Amino acid sequence: MRMDARKLMSPLGVLILWEIVARLNWVDPFFLPAPSAVWGELQKMVVSGEVFPHIGVSLARAVSGYLLAAVVGLALGLLIAWSTLVEQIFDPIIELIRPISTFALVPIMFVWFGIGDGSKVAIIFKACFFPIVINTIAGIKGVDAGLIRAARSLGAHGLQLWTKVLIPSALPMIVTGMRISTAMSMLAIVGVEMLASDTGIGFLVIDAQRVFATDRMFAGIVVISLMGFGLDRLARRIQGRMLSWHLETTLAGARG
Amino acid sequence: MILIEAENIHKTFAEGKGGQLLAIEDLSLQIRKNEFVSIVGPSGCGKSTFLLMVAGLERLSQGRLLIEGKPVNGPDHRRALVFQEYHLFPWKSVRGNVEFGPEMRGIARGERRKIGSHFIRLVGLEGFESRYPHELSGGMKQRVAIARALANDPTVLLMDEPFGALDALTRETLQVELLRIWQEAQCTVLFVTHSISEAVYLSDRVVMMSRRPGRIIADVRVDLPRPRTRGLLLSDEFRDYDRQLKKLVWNEFEGDVQ
Repeated sequence: MRMDARKLMSPLGVLILWEIVARLNWVDPFFLPAPSAVWGELQKMVVSGEVFPHIGVSLARAVSGYLLAAVVGLALGLLIAWSTLVEQIFDPIIELIRPISTFALVPIMFVWFGIGDGSKVAIIFKACFFPIVINTIAGIKGVDAGLIRAARSLGAHGLQLWTKVLIPSALPMIVTGMRISTAMSMLAIVGVEMLASDTGIGFLVIDAQRVFATDRMFAGIVVISLMGFGLDRLARRIQGRMLSWHLETTLAGARG
Repeated sequence: MILIEAENIHKTFAEGKGGQLLAIEDLSLQIRKNEFVSIVGPSGCGKSTFLLMVAGLERLSQGRLLIEGKPVNGPDHRRALVFQEYHLFPWKSVRGNVEFGPEMRGIARGERRKIGSHFIRLVGLEGFESRYPHELSGGMKQRVAIARALANDPTVLLMDEPFGALDALTRETLQVELLRIWQEAQCTVLFVTHSISEAVYLSDRVVMMSRRPGRIIADVRVDLPRPRTRGLLLSDEFRDYDRQLKKLVWNEFEGDVQ
């Protein structure tokens, strides 16, 4: 309880300060609407229900792109870690595409996949794929050689070595990559919906900006923040469930 | 009956740019079934490399290595390894670790549980079945590693400085335990250690290796009665062996001592 209270200190402090600044009219409310005004706008969106379809559309796009990236990234990562040949073929292309800003690819995606959901899923895929593939490779390659020796001397061979030793041992890294990618998916979906979309939470914010409804913009941003926060919480939960053994042996676990 | 037969084994490692490092030079050794043999020698003398060769995890450069008359060709579950660093699977419980070998061999769950319970009891870890490695002390981890190795019913137990990371008291306890377990499990033990006293106390034979490139410089039979108790450590016979072997080491490594 005390820890929860401490965690609330900084967000609450910012809100109070912000409210004071706005109430005293130190800043034009057009630029900085008061938190109470943003809250009012948020309530309106929720009560009228208009925000939910936007959230739903954004989540559907983010989740499809994410799942696609998770499946392909995991599979390719395992293949690359398994075979030097596959690594030599795919590593250069991965290293060339990875540093390109996701948004630099948006125009090409529009040309290739149209401005519908296809291009948006492709953009999410680009954003989520690399953390997953790279963490998978690093995770497998980082497995302790002693553990592999132990397993082989105990009779593990071939595919068993992968399913029973390499993958379980690399799982903390792999899951970390997947968690990074949940955040990436939220970053990318909002950006791409601002560029070209007439639905989604990113569209809601940019649309509010077009009509100079600043409080609505802020309300949309709050929704984005909550979505990201919620997704990360969910990801952490899953991580904690899967990897209790790992959390308890590391700093994260030691600090509670 | 001869179980392990090493004939003129050489091992070279590639080093730097085209360089070669001779790690083991002309090693020949015969080990009988159910014998307890220790290999002592300075760091880097190739004793651990030899152990890995017997395990089938390291190739020979030259020579022959036969187990039960057949050349070693890769790892085999009948040759079990125990490491100084334990190498337990951190995501598996004590039971999961001990049952790993039988699981890999496709033994049915019910049978596996029986094997697991038997060896967990043998190493004195009853009640800790569902603990995870990070919840155990070093000595307990090594007990798990020994149980895990024995669960495959090995003909040879290969131990690479298994007690090297433990405190003196735990070490002594585990030495006594190991002898009891060995007597019960009926297998051949090849035991690598730095400690001459440990080697004398445990073994039927102590094989001493030189500095790199590793050669055998002494092969001493230890005729002390079994079962061996802690009291033996205080006896004159034990001290005679200990003294004899330490003198050998000092003569061999005189240059190092200064």
